Amino acid sequence: MAAIAVHQFAQCITCHAWSPDHSMVAFCPNNNEVHIYKLFQDKWEKLHVLQKHDQIVSGIDWSARSNRIVTVSHDRNSYVWNQEGSEWVPTLVILRLNRAALCVQWSPKENKFAVGSGAKTVCICYYEQENNWWVSKLIRKKHESSVTSIAWHPNNILLATTSTDGKCRVFSTFIKGVDTKDSKVGPSSDSKFGEQILQLDLSFSWAFGVKWSPSGNTLAYVGHNSMIYFVDDVGPSPLAQTVAFRDLPLRDVLFVSEKMVIGVGFDCNPLVFAADETGIWTFLRFLDERKTSTSGPKYGSQFSEAFGKLYGQSKYGVSNDAVESSRTRGGVHENCINCVVPLREGGFTRTTRFSTSGLDGKIVTWNLESQEDLLNYL
Amino acid sequence: MAGAEGFVEADNAEAIITRIEHKSRKIESLLKQCKPVEALKTALEGSPPKTQDERCKSANWIVVHRAIMAIKDVDGMFSSLDPEYYDILMKYLYRGLSTGDRPTCDQCLRIHEKLTEKAGLGCILRCLADTVNTV
Repeated sequence: MAAIAVHQFAQCITCHAWSPDHSMVAFCPNNNEVHIYKLFQDKWEKLHVLQKHDQIVSGIDWSARSNRIVTVSHDRNSYVWNQEGSEWVPTLVILRLNRAALCVQWSPKENKFAVGSGAKTVCICYYEQENNWWVSKLIRKKHESSVTSIAWHPNNILLATTSTDGKCRVFSTFIKGVDTKDSKVGPSSDSKFGEQILQLDLSFSWAFGVKWSPSGNTLAYVGHNSMIYFVDDVGPSPLAQTVAFRDLPLRDVLFVSEKMVIGVGFDCNPLVFAADETGIWTFLRFLDERKTSTSGPKYGSQFSEAFGKLYGQSKYGVSNDAVESSRTRGGVHENCINCVVPLREGGFTRTTRFSTSGLDGKIVTWNLESQEDLLNYL
Repeated sequence: MAGAEGFVEADNAEAIITRIEHKSRKIESLLKQCKPVEALKTALEGSPPKTQDERCKSANWIVVHRAIMAIKDVDGMFSSLDPEYYDILMKYLYRGLSTGDRPTCDQCLRIHEKLTEKAGLGCILRCLADTVNTV
């Protein structure tokens, strides 16, 4: 089995993040709290409940080196949590937003974090030593709708965003006094804060889940039209590939290597995409054994009931059976997966383990090393 | 300035209508030769017309509708219809369903079932999610 650990933490999980040594997990059980659990022998025990937000927590990120947690919420605020003794102490970060914050991520150097929001803006937050205060700088222009996902380039300067206006954009987030000149590489060599490097106009519907490859050479994002987009040579003349697949749309993606991408979403089962020697991306297979992509009336998803209605009562029975059997066949997730997080150990370029969480309230850890056909792509 | 743009659009529309008329004649002759799948491919090619002009869209729909209704053997059609046509065919099936016309809906539903088996739910999502390139 590709899934090596499954645990039901709550009824529904909006997002989750792991501690630097992967011994603890922080998640939001679809309310205003963040729960931190630790694994003792075989049992998960609740260690802390972070209560400061007023509304649903929409994003959590746990920095790997500085051991700090950043959370954002629909209440338009963000908190940075520092561990002091056995307590987590919050510091309010005023984002200056008039709509919900939707996603958050620490930059690779962990001296900045970015927040995407429903206010058509991206906040870049950094720490000001002299004031003992987190400052939020806004990228106000360009986005015509909510920013659904953000991803830091490994150079700590470029930030990719996706939005419900269907576009994927790349910005420079160079901040004087925080970033040094020598950290600037490639196409961002002379760009100021908030300057748009690139706008990708590939999708005609909502875009979600953007990620850079470990080297930062390839960008991947997904559309709500069951498409995934791969972009090479991010700069003045990008090379884009579009892969349409036959299943329900994705919500988030993860590069496990330069040549393999995991997509998660409404199909409740991670999809594996891989690039061949010539760099052409294709859909490989589902990661969970549950389903094979053969043709036939196997609509094993929430769509089934609607389909039953569409094709009349006789077909309803058939598609209903398909759902039942897919469940008993042991699909790990039972609802939409909306979050995928890498479990990186040592080197940065290769990820063999990652975890997913979704609307079914489970956190599932996956291991790719047991999947022999995928090892070539790692 | 707006007037000039309107003129260009109208001019463009005339050109598209002419092309669709040409396509229509080709389809009639293909149907006479009993090549309904070739007719459907011809009908789907170059659509949706790259315009927001409703007249062009309607004209193209009439042509596609003619080709869809001529399909008798749905399984046979899919054995010779390439996957590149699936997305656009799905869009026209939904246009057909929206007419509410009994024979059209029956035919569209028959094809829809087979097309969904072939192209998956992703094909339906691409059709529903695309609000820009409507047919």
